[in-house]
Amino acid sequence: MKLLTKNSLSLLSLTLFAFLFGIIAFYYLLRVEVDKSINSELEKRKTNIISQLTYDQSVKSITPFQNEKIRLSAIKNVENYPSRYYDTLIYNQSEKKFEPFRQRGFVVDVSNHKYYIQIFKSLEETDNLIVRIFLIMTLLVIPFIFIIILINRVSSGQIWKDFHDTIRKISNYDINTHEPFILRKSDITEFDDLNRVLTKMIDRIQLNYSNMKEYAENASHEIQTPLSIINAKMELLLQSGDLKEKQLKSVLDAYEASNRLSRVNKTLLLLAKIENRQFPESKLINPKDIFDYQFEFLEDLILSKKLEISTNYEDNVQIKVNPYLAEVLFSNLIKNAIRHNIEGGKIFIELTGKQLMISNSGSALMTDPENLFKRFYKSSTSKESLGLGLSIVQKICEVYDFRLNYDYQNDLHRIRVDFV
Amino acid sequence: MKILIIEDEKALSNSIEEYLLEERHICEAVYTYRDAIEKINLYEYDCLIVDINLPDGSGFDLIKLIKQKSITSGIIIVSARNSLENRIEGLEKGADNYLTKPFSLAELNALLKSVNRRISFSGRNEIIVNEIRLLPDEYKVFIHDQELKFTKKEYELLMFFVSNKNKVITKTGLVEHLWGDYMDSADSYDFIYTHIKNLRRKLINNGCADYIQTVYGVGYKFEVEEEE
Repeated sequence: MKLLTKNSLSLLSLTLFAFLFGIIAFYYLLRVEVDKSINSELEKRKTNIISQLTYDQSVKSITPFQNEKIRLSAIKNVENYPSRYYDTLIYNQSEKKFEPFRQRGFVVDVSNHKYYIQIFKSLEETDNLIVRIFLIMTLLVIPFIFIIILINRVSSGQIWKDFHDTIRKISNYDINTHEPFILRKSDITEFDDLNRVLTKMIDRIQLNYSNMKEYAENASHEIQTPLSIINAKMELLLQSGDLKEKQLKSVLDAYEASNRLSRVNKTLLLLAKIENRQFPESKLINPKDIFDYQFEFLEDLILSKKLEISTNYEDNVQIKVNPYLAEVLFSNLIKNAIRHNIEGGKIFIELTGKQLMISNSGSALMTDPENLFKRFYKSSTSKESLGLGLSIVQKICEVYDFRLNYDYQNDLHRIRVDFV
Repeated sequence: MKILIIEDEKALSNSIEEYLLEERHICEAVYTYRDAIEKINLYEYDCLIVDINLPDGSGFDLIKLIKQKSITSGIIIVSARNSLENRIEGLEKGADNYLTKPFSLAELNALLKSVNRRISFSGRNEIIVNEIRLLPDEYKVFIHDQELKFTKKEYELLMFFVSNKNKVITKTGLVEHLWGDYMDSADSYDFIYTHIKNLRRKLINNGCADYIQTVYGVGYKFEVEEEE
């Protein structure tokens, strides 16, 4: 749940609860006040009746006012008739319903006869008033609550804007882009603290990362020189005629191993350079030219495997990439399609301005296609390949935001590169 | 050919020297920028092998200096740096070729020969090995003065053998020469085998001696009786 929603909901439930509570309290207070005023009215009426009786000395002279009933009863025993107030309901014959009344009962002495007089005052009007006040209150408070929530939402949105900006920048952050990581300055201390800590952390990570990459690159460079010495010495050893066949074989194996090592090293260095974005300049390239060149260059391979190549190029396809990387990318794809092909297999190339699809025949992968682009992944069929070709392809695609897809259909491995 | 090797790694420099001496070149080796300048000022060389990263200077500066003095020596750069920019910079400064470390000595030797041919026989240039005559500028091969058609790869193969006569050439070395870094799978060895078989057959069928010998388990050798 979003913080803002949570905040609004708790605010809503709290104000609703407070409002409910307040309105109940308000009702009782109002009731008490109304009762008090009716009591004093009844008291006045009582005084009024007593003074009238003292003057007239006859209970017959008592006539009820409007909204008022008076009940007279002659009594013998005073103790059973306490002087008191209470609320009661009286059935109204004409309207056929009970109506609320407040009663004041008291005992009078008129010409030595004792009477219990009850004055009933109708509560209908005051009750109606209370209900109306209540309704108006409610009608006023509900929009009030919604206005509060609205204000809260708007101001929260403002407050959290910096926070959301930070979140967005962090989620878009890519350590490989080499763009400086700058967070917006916030006037809220907490967010400012957060931004400061994050910026510091990312600066440190970036420094470590670039140190590490630099180290990897330097190490690769430094390895090349001793490797070239090893290779040269081995070559000289192979030339010396006085080696026995067995020794010659050992030297050759060592020579091949060091050659292989230098190839791995060169490729890793290339990967590191691609990751470091060391190929900034770009040109408009038509992949078709690279394919044509590669097919000519690798003609022997294609002939010997009896591969059938069909191509379908859209006219004047141009993509903006670094020329060297383009060559590495497309030649790697071609080599991959040739290497993992079967005798008498097929290669299809379909090129449009939006995408490139290279398919080649071959048996299905033994493992998860996810592994295909991993470094040093090798299918069981070609032990001699380094397993770096497709990870280079992937890295180059990453540089240019090309999407890379693999699937296997109708005995065809299909690699698709989306240029947009 | 008189060659100056400017390379700060003594072990590598020695190996190059040893290989080239067997080819009857005259070699001198220096290990620093300063010594290199001294040698260049004092003597004339047919070819210079220059490392880019010298302890007291850059090979690029050296090349610039040589070109300023309009010395006509061929220049081959050997460098651990494999970037396109370095390669382009080197060639723009006037180097004839650029080899990335580690390289094979046979490759360096073949390059030296082609550089030398370009410099010493500007225009007309041919290589003669007994009955074989090669015209590198025109990619033509004559055997007993009869022109023979070769595929591009077969031609390159023959050229490489001729440049490295009487040397054991490994299969890896041949693969790298023909396909560069592009081939890194074992099946390329089958190609080498096929190509060599074809080349050999073509040469023999046209009355050529069987020069290409298999060195069991290692590679091949182009064996020619040296006529002194």
